[in-house]
Amino acid sequence: MTPVPVPRRSLPAGLELWRRWFDALPFWARVLVFLLIAGVGVWYYNDPYVTAVAVSVATYAILGLGLNIVVGYAGLLDLGYAAFFAIGAYTTALLMTQAHWNFFATLPLAVIMTGTAGAILGYPTLRLRSDYLAIVTLGFGEMTRVAITNWDYAGGPNGVLGIPPPSILGFQLGSQMDFLGVSLFLLGIAMLATHHLDHSRLGRGWVAIREDEFAAEAVGVPSLRLKLLAYVMGGMWGGLAGAFFATRIGAIDPTSFTFQLSVLVLLLIVLGGSGSLPGVLVGSLVVVGLPEALRQFSSQRMLVFSILLIIMMLIRPQGIWPRVRRKPKPFYGLEGGESSDHAVEALRAHQREVEERDRRALTGHRSAGQGEVLLEVKGLVQQFGGLRAVDDVSFEVRRGEIFSIIGPNGAGKTTVFNCITGVQKPRRGSIRFDGRSLVGLPPHAIVSRGLGRTFQGIRLFKNMAVFENVMVGIYPRHRTMTWQAMLHTPGERRDERRTLQEARRWLQFVGLEEEAGRLATELSYADQRRVEIARALASHPRLVLFDEPAAGMNPTEKLELIGVIRKIRDLGITVILIDHDMSLVMRVSDRIAVLDHGVLIALGRPEEIQRDPAVIEAYLGRDEGDEMVEAIGS
Amino acid sequence: MGAFLQYTVIGLTVGSFYALVALGYTIVYGIIRLINFAQGDLSMVGAFIGWTLLVSLGFQHLPLWLALIAAFVIPMIGTALVNLGILQFAYKPLLHKSLWAILITALGMSLFLENAALQVWGPSINAYPPSMLPSSGFSLGPVHVTFLQVALFLTSLLLMAGLYAFVHGTMIGTAMRALAVDHDAARLMGIDVDQVIRLAFVLGAMLAAASGVMIGIYYTQIQFTMGFLLGLRAFTAAVLGGIGNIPGAMVGGMLIGLLESYTAGYLSGKWETVIVFGVLIAVLVVKPTGIFGERVAERM
Amino acid sequence: MALLEVRDLHVFYGNIEALKGISLDAEEGEIVAILGGNGAGKTTTLRTISGLLRPRTGTVTFQGRNIVGVAAHAIVGLGLGHVPEGRRIFTILSVEENLNLGAYLIRSQGALLRARKAAVYQLFPRLAERKHQLAGTLSGGEQQMLAIGRALMSDPKVLMLDEPSLGLSPLLARSVLKTVREVANDGTTVLLVEQNARQALAIADRAYVIETGRIVLEGKASILATDERVQKAYLGGFEAMTSA
Repeated sequence: MTPVPVPRRSLPAGLELWRRWFDALPFWARVLVFLLIAGVGVWYYNDPYVTAVAVSVATYAILGLGLNIVVGYAGLLDLGYAAFFAIGAYTTALLMTQAHWNFFATLPLAVIMTGTAGAILGYPTLRLRSDYLAIVTLGFGEMTRVAITNWDYAGGPNGVLGIPPPSILGFQLGSQMDFLGVSLFLLGIAMLATHHLDHSRLGRGWVAIREDEFAAEAVGVPSLRLKLLAYVMGGMWGGLAGAFFATRIGAIDPTSFTFQLSVLVLLLIVLGGSGSLPGVLVGSLVVVGLPEALRQFSSQRMLVFSILLIIMMLIRPQGIWPRVRRKPKPFYGLEGGESSDHAVEALRAHQREVEERDRRALTGHRSAGQGEVLLEVKGLVQQFGGLRAVDDVSFEVRRGEIFSIIGPNGAGKTTVFNCITGVQKPRRGSIRFDGRSLVGLPPHAIVSRGLGRTFQGIRLFKNMAVFENVMVGIYPRHRTMTWQAMLHTPGERRDERRTLQEARRWLQFVGLEEEAGRLATELSYADQRRVEIARALASHPRLVLFDEPAAGMNPTEKLELIGVIRKIRDLGITVILIDHDMSLVMRVSDRIAVLDHGVLIALGRPEEIQRDPAVIEAYLGRDEGDEMVEAIGS
Repeated sequence: MGAFLQYTVIGLTVGSFYALVALGYTIVYGIIRLINFAQGDLSMVGAFIGWTLLVSLGFQHLPLWLALIAAFVIPMIGTALVNLGILQFAYKPLLHKSLWAILITALGMSLFLENAALQVWGPSINAYPPSMLPSSGFSLGPVHVTFLQVALFLTSLLLMAGLYAFVHGTMIGTAMRALAVDHDAARLMGIDVDQVIRLAFVLGAMLAAASGVMIGIYYTQIQFTMGFLLGLRAFTAAVLGGIGNIPGAMVGGMLIGLLESYTAGYLSGKWETVIVFGVLIAVLVVKPTGIFGERVAERM
Repeated sequence: MALLEVRDLHVFYGNIEALKGISLDAEEGEIVAILGGNGAGKTTTLRTISGLLRPRTGTVTFQGRNIVGVAAHAIVGLGLGHVPEGRRIFTILSVEENLNLGAYLIRSQGALLRARKAAVYQLFPRLAERKHQLAGTLSGGEQQMLAIGRALMSDPKVLMLDEPSLGLSPLLARSVLKTVREVANDGTTVLLVEQNARQALAIADRAYVIETGRIVLEGKASILATDERVQKAYLGGFEAMTSA
């Protein structure tokens, strides 16, 4: 299978050369070049009106970058973003007029205020479904607007007047050109920070939540915490833009912060391409620039704008400049050619580390040794309505074995799986992993304890590249802080490189290094399964659970799968396997548990299970007069 | 106590307008999971068609019963056609494709209707004929109720009852409810899903238009921007009652109307929005599926 | 010409080819079982026949007419009923409303509708007892009865059943399959996807075994029931392992 070539528009030779030069620059330099060109271009044009529009475009772009974190990355609908703009603007306006602070000194406070507001908005809404978020965020925006309208200290409906322009080192800034400089400076900061967030483990976590929240949580991404963080991070940039807006306009009042503004910012993101940084820039140019360009239509301009918008969405629903996560050479720049043993060494080291940590953290704790009980399920009961899906099931899984759970469809296998992995809370019974209870922990915490998993239907993050999928799997072992990610500190860079390197190793392990840069959906069925396995292994589990990994595989692929499962066991990882394919299960398992109608009907070594009459009956159905019994029995 | 009852009367009247628009949100959302942001603006379009008929075309001089029938039926049909056009040209190509794109298209549609109305009917406030219905009323103890309020409230109830009967009493109505659960299974019953979606858009628009005309008659003033706040209140009502839930939308609308009326009466009109959304958020935090629970399946 | 002829169906989910050339026939009045492991393509085959999925290539000929490209709701009207996997009943509607919807296409013919409903109630007396109950509150077996009954309301010439015994106790599963046999005896052709191979083969006339989107085996049910390759492909190689 050959990687799909990334489509590239070919440019004229001279431009192509410039483009290559531009692409080779580090990101901060690219931002600098972009801002310089934009700034110099506007300065050269030397038209106050154009300059003013450019400042507005930059302001909207900062807003867009912030909302893009919430909407584009984390996939949370927010229709009240104007509230953050307002809070930032009022914070700066009041501090500058009442306390006579310098503009730049007010910025941190504006950002802190809006970040806090983000947390306040985010916290109650975390568990709401996305459609409900629309109305709650909308409500938040309106409540904020009404609150400031009725707030007498801040001038009520008249707002805050006489906000001075910013001064820097004693120089009073005041012309539109000056504002352009400040706005481009702030835009540059926002571009750098959001780009870094996008390319950090946080960005990957957000996108994973957007693609499939359930799967993200189940492979170790703390989804609630990350969603809250998205609101906070997103709100902060709204505050920055608001602060700038206040000092630029000089007088703010509540009518600047309406629902229409929230919609406009959301619009520019989706128009540009949700989740895409250049998309935000293009989007703000269109959303701010187009109505200005349509001035000749005077009163009809909003009508024309709305028609263009609808046509645009019909022609190009993915946006003007969408973020494509495909990457032709994801491992470019990493030292190559190491043997795959490195993955194994890293894993072993990490396993020892975890055991050491547990020993120190928990007095009297001793990790299960080879052949000792690692996972203990006792008296597990799960009930849905009147139906007992799992009825008093108990078994033990020993460290280092391959343990299979089989049974006909609807026997309760997946329910047992879901209880172990924290997706469901069992009605009764205990589940202990390495001596500690797992019941009641959220799925991502169970992953951190050392349980990895794959899914029955494939649940990869479809629009992420293969290597990014695996990198999401490393999330629970990653220790980068948010501020480190935003500033792209040396420590974070090291961590990222290490993560990338490890993702590569695990892809090597399952034989997919060549496919690393493609989108997950572009792979074949069997390869997607292997990516899932790599993603599960990347969390360095001590136990992995595979839910029907052979479903839909052909015999050759199944044979390869058996090889991979054995290799995983040889890494020192205990394996629990659910599958229908008896030949696979019989060949690979050390011990097998058989469920039927929620009850454990047999437990033993493969050859015992094969002879067990109860098992044969469960699988083939009881039918006394049938010749089949003889056929099997012989 | 007298004041409380008086506020209740006002709240129920206004709430019934919200309820009608909320039903449109809920029906459409239940079937295709789209928040049709243009819903409030459809109400505005209905109000303006009614105004054109009554004032510009002089229908107000016809016998009252004829004028009223025309002023309700024609806007309802006209708005239904508008909504069908919106569905066909703007939403249909995006259904099942991009959730974001269709949402933005809905916002764009709202913007479009508002500005189209601005072009057609102008920016000024247009007045409905003030003396169409008797402004007199009667007193129930300390409460004064106008005949207009009673008539409008009863008309709303009638429309809602009609919708309820349709959705629960006919096969096509049953199909609409089935679509909220499972599109594929509905296809396997022989249900033409597209046809039912069109029907939902028609019904939603008709209710919105009726509410628009009633607002015109009640407040006697309409403006092209009226759709936004109305849509917002109605959407809130739909979510409050449990989106996709038809009785929920009715009760939700009444609750929002009452809440607004009490706030305006006891506190100050300035705080209406804060109180309404505060209650909504509180309800959602406690019961994320609205007061009466949603009537839609987890996934499509 | 057979009542239903499927020829060389290729179906894709994105880039993944789920069906790689499926061909099968069903004659009037027979039960045809489709067997195979999870993910083999059984459900995809049924969904393609009933028009919920569009094949990239291939034809589905029903009563001499190619129905590929015909809308799913219109295919029902032609006489193909489909009981989907997982029952997919309308949980928020009553039992009776579910059945009524099954006869959506003849909704204007009240007498006919009532007659069919009476027939379904006769076949499943339990449903008659619970006709005003919300379908979501039924037990698994009752829900399966409702799903089958709902499909029968359109009086299909071909009834496709996707795993009707899923999640049912052996006793219930057997009674459901017995009903399927009764339905076929009345002249309805049945296409049966079933995990319970033995019971499926016991009631079927012919069977196909699908593996990773291809038909690997076909023949008379009574012969396949003793064919060791069925066990290998589907029942999971008890034989293969013990001899190994």
